[in-house]
Amino acid sequence: MKAVCWMGKEKMQVHDVPDPTILNPRDAVIKITTTCICGSDLHLYDGLVPTLEQGDILGHEFMGEVVELGPGINKEKLKVGDRVVVPFTISCGGCFACKDQLWSCCDNSNPNAWIAEKIMGYSPSGLFGYTHMLGGYSGGQAQYARVPFADVGPIKIPDGIPDEKVVFLSDIFPTGYMGAENCNIRSGDTVAVWGCGPVAQFAIRSCFMLGAGRVIAIDRIPERLQLARDAGAETLNFDETDVIDALHDMTGNQGPDSCMDVVGMEASGHGVMFAVDRAKQMARIQIDRPTVLRQVIMACKKGGTVSIPGVYAGLVDKMPMGAFMNKGLTMKTGQTHMMRYMAPLLERVQAGQIDPSFVISHKLPLDKAPGAYRMFRDKQDHCTKVVLKPWAEQMAA
Amino acid sequence: MSNDANRFSFQSVSQFGVIAGASALALYGLFRRNKTGLALATAGGLVAYKQARSQTQSSKQTATAVFRVNATSNEAYRLWHNFENLPRFMAHLAAVRVLDDRRSEWTAKGPLDSCVRWSAEITEDKPNRRIAWRSLPGSQLETSGWVEFRDDPQGRGSTVRAQVEYSNPVGALGIGLFTAMGKNPNFVVKEDLRRFKALLEAGETPTTVGQTHGPRGLHGHAEQVLFRETSNHPSPQAGNAQRPSHAA
Repeated sequence: MKAVCWMGKEKMQVHDVPDPTILNPRDAVIKITTTCICGSDLHLYDGLVPTLEQGDILGHEFMGEVVELGPGINKEKLKVGDRVVVPFTISCGGCFACKDQLWSCCDNSNPNAWIAEKIMGYSPSGLFGYTHMLGGYSGGQAQYARVPFADVGPIKIPDGIPDEKVVFLSDIFPTGYMGAENCNIRSGDTVAVWGCGPVAQFAIRSCFMLGAGRVIAIDRIPERLQLARDAGAETLNFDETDVIDALHDMTGNQGPDSCMDVVGMEASGHGVMFAVDRAKQMARIQIDRPTVLRQVIMACKKGGTVSIPGVYAGLVDKMPMGAFMNKGLTMKTGQTHMMRYMAPLLERVQAGQIDPSFVISHKLPLDKAPGAYRMFRDKQDHCTKVVLKPWAEQMAA
Repeated sequence: MSNDANRFSFQSVSQFGVIAGASALALYGLFRRNKTGLALATAGGLVAYKQARSQTQSSKQTATAVFRVNATSNEAYRLWHNFENLPRFMAHLAAVRVLDDRRSEWTAKGPLDSCVRWSAEITEDKPNRRIAWRSLPGSQLETSGWVEFRDDPQGRGSTVRAQVEYSNPVGALGIGLFTAMGKNPNFVVKEDLRRFKALLEAGETPTTVGQTHGPRGLHGHAEQVLFRETSNHPSPQAGNAQRPSHAA
C-alpha cells in the first residue's frame, strides 16, 4: 500500500509498504477513505519532537471501513464493513485512566511507556503516527491502518453523511471543543483565543456553543481571521497590534475571563524574547517555544482560567509563574479525551448545528502529501486544512 | 566489582585500560561521520560496555518493581499463579511448562538465540497474597523471585510488587542473564510488571512488532535499537499473527 513516511527533517516521502495486519486480538484493520494533515504533524515535519525514526508512517486523523477484525473483538461492537472514524488516541478501556474518562492517558496503550516516563514522569496513551515516545504506532496517512483496541476508540458513522463532515471527529473538532470546555465558561464570558488554525476554528465555535458572550481571536493570516469573524468572533492581528494592550482596552482593563492557547510549541512572535526562544530551539536546549503560553498567562483576568489545547513536547524557559500564582489562575490542559466527545459532537453534526467541512482548503491525493506539508507549514495558497484521499489517482483541489 | 583491596591490582588496571582504549575508539568513530566510523564507534562502545559490566566474582542481580492495577488481588494472583502465563509478560522467557502444583520447567532466551533452561519449584503459595519460587539446585542458572498482591485500602484496585533475582555460579556463563540482554535488571522487572498490568486490565500487551512502516535506513535501524523496540516489545498475540520477514 502507499504510505506517507517521515524520512528526516522536512523530508516526507510516499513509499510503497506492506499492508498492515492484525497483530493483537483486539486489533482491527481499516481501509482508509479520508485522512488529514494536522498542525501537530508540522512539529514532526520540522523535526522538533524527539524519538521519530526514519521510515515512520505519520498521520492520526483518519476514517474508513473495517476490513479485518482480530479474534478478541466483540462482534456486537464492531463488524467488518462498518464505517468508522478512528480517534487519534489509543485507549484500552480497562485501566484506571480509561475508567476515569482520561482516555488520552491510558496506561496500557504505549509499549514504549518507559521513554515517556523519563520525560514526563508517567506516560500518556499511545497515539497514531506521533513518535516512538508515544508508542511508535504507524499512522493513518496511508491506504490502510492497524487500529489497536478497536472495540474502544472507533465510532460508527451511518451512511449518508460525506466523509468531509465527520473526519474531523478524529481529532480537531473534539480538541477544539475540549479546549473550550476547559475554559470553565460561564454564560456571557469573554474568551480570548490565540490562534485561528483549524483546531481554533472549532474552539471558537465551541466557545459560543458553551455560552460565551464574546470571543476574541488572535492570528496574523487574513483568511484565518476571516473564518473566525464568520463564527462571530472579534479579531486581532498580532502583526499590527500589541495583543496585551488591545485586550486591556477591549475588556476595560480587566482581562478576558478565559484565555486559550491553540498554538503550542511552534509559536510565532516578535521581539527579543522570541529571537532568544528561536535560537534556543535551534540549539536544542529548549524544545518548545512558549511565546503564546506566556501571553495567555499575562493577559488572563484575575481568578480566570487558562486553557491549553496547544501541543507541547518538552521544557520551556521563563514562565511567568509569579503572574500565574498571584492572579490565582487555573490551568486546564491535556491531549483530547476523545471518547468523551466523539458521540455528542457527531450528534451536533447530524442535527445540522455545525458543518465541520468549512475548514477544508485543499483536497489532494495521497501522493501530493509531501508538498502539502510544506504548503501547510508555510501557509501558502491560503491553506487552512489539507484533506488527503488515499485512493484517488487524480483529483482537482 | 573489585573491592578496595584490589583497587590497583593488575586486574583492575587492565580493565580500566581496556575501557579507556575502547571508549577512545568509540569517540574517534563517532567523529568520522561515515559508515566506517559508525562501525568503529559500535565496536568500541560494545567492548567498553561489556568490560565495564563483566565481573570476576559470581554475579547476582536483583530487581524489584511495583504497580497499582485496576483489578482485585484475587484476579491478579490467578493470572500470575499459572506459570504458563509468565512468558506472556516476562519478555526474556520463551516458555514455562507446569509439571505439578509445585514444579515447573522454564526456558529463557539467552544471548545470540541460545536457550537457557532450568527447573523451578514454588516455595511459598499464599492464595491471593504471595507466591515465591526458586530454581532447583544444580540448575544452569540460579533464580528466585516472589510476588505479593495487596488490595488497596481505599478500594482502588490492588498493588502488585515483585522481585526477581538471577545469579550465576562462578565459572558458568560468566555474565548475568540481564547483562547478557544488555539491560538494567530494574528495567527488565519493571517492564515485565507493566506488561502484567496490561494483560490483567486489557487482556493483551501493547506491541508494534510486525507493523508496517517505510524504509528504515541506517538511522532508522539504529533508532529502533536505541528505543528498545527490537528487545522490549512483546510478540504479537493474535493467534494467526506471525512475525513477517520484513520486520526488524
